[in-house]
Amino acid sequence: MNQGLLDKEKLGFIYKLFKAMQKNNLNYIYRGIFTTNITDNILALAESNLVQKEDPRALRRKVYNVMVEGLQNVTKHQADLETDLENKFGVFVLKKEHYKYFITTGNLIENQDIEKLTGQINQVNGMDKVELKAYHREVLLHGKMSNKGGAGLGLIDMARKSGNKLLYAFEKVDEKFSYFYLHTEIPSKGIEKSTLDPKNPNILKYISALHKMLNQENVLIIFNSYFNQESLMNLLSIIEKQMLENIQQKKRIYNTMVEMFQNIIQHGDDYKETEEGKAGLFYISETDNEFLLNTGNYILNSKIERLTKKLNYVNGMNYKELDEFYDTRLLDFEIDTSKEAGLGIIDIRLKTDGVLEYSFLNIDDKYSFYTLRAKISKN
Amino acid sequence: MEALHIEASEDTPKIYFEPDVEIYLLEGKSLPENAIDFYQPVFDWAQVFFHAKDVPSTIVINFKLDYFNTASSKQIAKLLRIIETSPSNENVTIKWYYDEEDTDMLKAGNRYNKLMNIQFEFIVNKES
Repeated sequence: MNQGLLDKEKLGFIYKLFKAMQKNNLNYIYRGIFTTNITDNILALAESNLVQKEDPRALRRKVYNVMVEGLQNVTKHQADLETDLENKFGVFVLKKEHYKYFITTGNLIENQDIEKLTGQINQVNGMDKVELKAYHREVLLHGKMSNKGGAGLGLIDMARKSGNKLLYAFEKVDEKFSYFYLHTEIPSKGIEKSTLDPKNPNILKYISALHKMLNQENVLIIFNSYFNQESLMNLLSIIEKQMLENIQQKKRIYNTMVEMFQNIIQHGDDYKETEEGKAGLFYISETDNEFLLNTGNYILNSKIERLTKKLNYVNGMNYKELDEFYDTRLLDFEIDTSKEAGLGIIDIRLKTDGVLEYSFLNIDDKYSFYTLRAKISKN
Repeated sequence: MEALHIEASEDTPKIYFEPDVEIYLLEGKSLPENAIDFYQPVFDWAQVFFHAKDVPSTIVINFKLDYFNTASSKQIAKLLRIIETSPSNENVTIKWYYDEEDTDMLKAGNRYNKLMNIQFEFIVNKES
């Protein structure tokens, strides 16, 4: 009896996402409303987790600075858009591949601003380091400031701090609005010259496909990095600052995230040994009726049988049985180690709606990819 | 009896057990990576305090938690068990605070109330 088993299609999406992100080392995506609070937490998350500690300090600083400019750019522009468009959410993507960081933002703008923006970016892209510095000073001192806070000062800063060209694209939404994608890369180690071709069609294609996928699945957040207590706390802060009307729902998302995350921290197995935590994928998506919380991580094949039994056992219980099972486990002080209180899965089942969906995908002789999905109803 | 003070952190609650002024308080969030390590000093303190000869005749312990994970939930059960099985268990009242919308927190308190032979009072947090 595998009533919680995820069907092939759903599993496909989670695994595809994980593989794609693994391949690209893609680390973090946020899609939603950007407020100063949320921006601060994204920066904190990036600082503590996403930007790797072994990178030179100068590189980390650069990545941080470019992120600040990119995020401010989104925050500034979304505020004054009055639209009922369903997908008015902005998106922020940070990923690392080999020795490069990629930063991409996407947000709605009014079509009438396209020309001005294009002009500004092209102007910035046409300048070398020295010219940019001079231009930066000129704009700072004499530039006519727009009511959005600068004559492209943010763009100049991004170009200067990334040491690279700015890649951009517009995708028309309707007569009034378009998505504006802005992308830059920060090379490290001895790469002095700009390497980014602003007209590289592959990157543009990738960004637009990614955004479509996020919109389609209504993904709010994707985190693919090392799972540890620090990253959990930062992600929780981002969730706490989401504007959800229903407090109980928010608490339950928070609660389920903690249990799912800590479950991976304690029980996940590393495909490759790391000191920073267990590699894993976490994402939240939304449908009209529910929030879906998903995790994906590696586990040893030898653990699958026991875990399957446990999940099926908990899935087979009704609320009253679960509640009683919780009581029994709560007072079972025999099961009480720093790794296990024996309550996590019961608690997730009690505070979410429906069964826990799960699947195991065999990777090799030793490991499988384990995905777990919990649903929180909006009603 | 000495006091026990632990400052709150991002993922652990403030613990303020101060017999001199008769304040006993747990407040904030509790979701540490290792709940056993965090609560050990609390157990040590409780073992001594609730078994002492000069235990105050009334002890009100205020649980003002706004969130705890399952690992902490077990440690709270252990703390309550220490109190329940001590000679001074009848001196103790647990005041369990919860937000009105937070039915899960109320349920958690009800669960301990049901499972432990200790006096419980439930208090809805006032909007501040």
